[in-house]
Amino acid sequence: MTSATKITIHVPGPLRDCCAGAAVLALSATTVRAVLEELERRHPALHRSICDETGTVRRHINLFVNTHHMRDRNGLDTPLAPGDEVTILPAVSGG
Amino acid sequence: MANRVLLSIGTKKGLFVAESPKTRRRFALRGPFGPGVAVYSALIDPRGTPRVYGSSCNAFFGMKVLCSTDLGKTFKETKSAPAFPKDDGRALANIWSLEPGDDRKDLLCGVEPAALFKSSDGGDSWELVPGISNHEHARKWQPGNGGLCMHTILRDGNRVHLGISTGGHYLSEDRGKTFVAANKGVGAGFTPDPYPEFGQCVHKIAGHKDAPGRLYMQNHGGWAEWDGPGGRRPDIGVLRSDDHGKTWRSIAKGLPSDFGFPIVVHPHDADTVYVVPLAPETRTCPGGTPAVWRSENGGGSWQKLARGLPKKESYFTVLRDALDIDELSSPALYFGTTTGQLWIGRDGGEKWECLFDALPPINCVKVAVV
Repeated sequence: MTSATKITIHVPGPLRDCCAGAAVLALSATTVRAVLEELERRHPALHRSICDETGTVRRHINLFVNTHHMRDRNGLDTPLAPGDEVTILPAVSGG
Repeated sequence: MANRVLLSIGTKKGLFVAESPKTRRRFALRGPFGPGVAVYSALIDPRGTPRVYGSSCNAFFGMKVLCSTDLGKTFKETKSAPAFPKDDGRALANIWSLEPGDDRKDLLCGVEPAALFKSSDGGDSWELVPGISNHEHARKWQPGNGGLCMHTILRDGNRVHLGISTGGHYLSEDRGKTFVAANKGVGAGFTPDPYPEFGQCVHKIAGHKDAPGRLYMQNHGGWAEWDGPGGRRPDIGVLRSDDHGKTWRSIAKGLPSDFGFPIVVHPHDADTVYVVPLAPETRTCPGGTPAVWRSENGGGSWQKLARGLPKKESYFTVLRDALDIDELSSPALYFGTTTGQLWIGRDGGEKWECLFDALPPINCVKVAVV
């Protein structure tokens, strides 16, 4: 892996206004944490919707690396390989 | 010229706006805005071009502030919501109060965990107000059932009054730079010390522009039967101050319960004050019979206002910001219920009528003549 690793980010519908309507973003990152740091630089409103002020991923947001939830791998330190896809999804909840 | 009455109604499922001519005969409903997302605070800011604000407590994506510049026909998110500094360690959980600040675009915002933010650009950017947010007591405040919330912001010249649950009443006399706990006479039923320096579960504070030293407080009452350390604490729920909140005394005698959430003052008479007593065990209408209670002598005595309200089998709650009163010559009261009804009390609450009976559970109601 290099810092030039290309990752695809899938943005859910309710958050696309935070990144000029984009459903998909492409960026270079080697971990999930680096993805979030890059999103904070490029799209701060999107980052605020994913993480709170302490940098913690919001309770009802799930981040998947390909088909695996990041918590089932190494959390924010989950490594990324070229071509990986990170999907941002709101959790299922009701009421 | 102000010629219409506007209501902003924060619910569990978004913000609604209701509009009527000044006759208040019929209200047209718009919304929900920020659909599906709970709104706990709203503000109709009449300065300049009127703006309607609502907080939008999105469980997924965090807090947003909604703003309308067309009297609640459309809303947009402001550019940002309040947020604690990165190294602070606290994270914003909710917005509980929005109030106008000094200058035309200044806003004040009370949040959970209890802290105060200020905006100078109509809500697009926010800064923490350190005098209270980093007060030496701040990390000792405890959350009440609704969370650790700063729900009341009252401004009076150089003075700023804040209500925090559970933190108590804090007073600034230097325009919000520094604050002191000002709770002498404000009881607490959940601590061995019945009158602590701070930490009371204040539910709401109200004042009147023509009587700046006078304040009314709905505190967490319902402790008359307590028999633990410190003894019984009857009548600590409804209080009055005549010295800018430095000392408080009970005015609860004559009410069916000293427990409740909202308290409002008549816009043209500082002696007339309204509360909604609730049964402390259930926090619903005592005996299933809802009523607003009014005092016309500053809390010396109370009258029940229930004409038109259900006479039985009504077990709703009226939350701390869900009662308001308009400023017309014969003001009407408005309250929203946790069962989704919005009531209007014409002639100062003499005659009640249900305006909307099936909204989502209502958290807050604000009214303005614009």
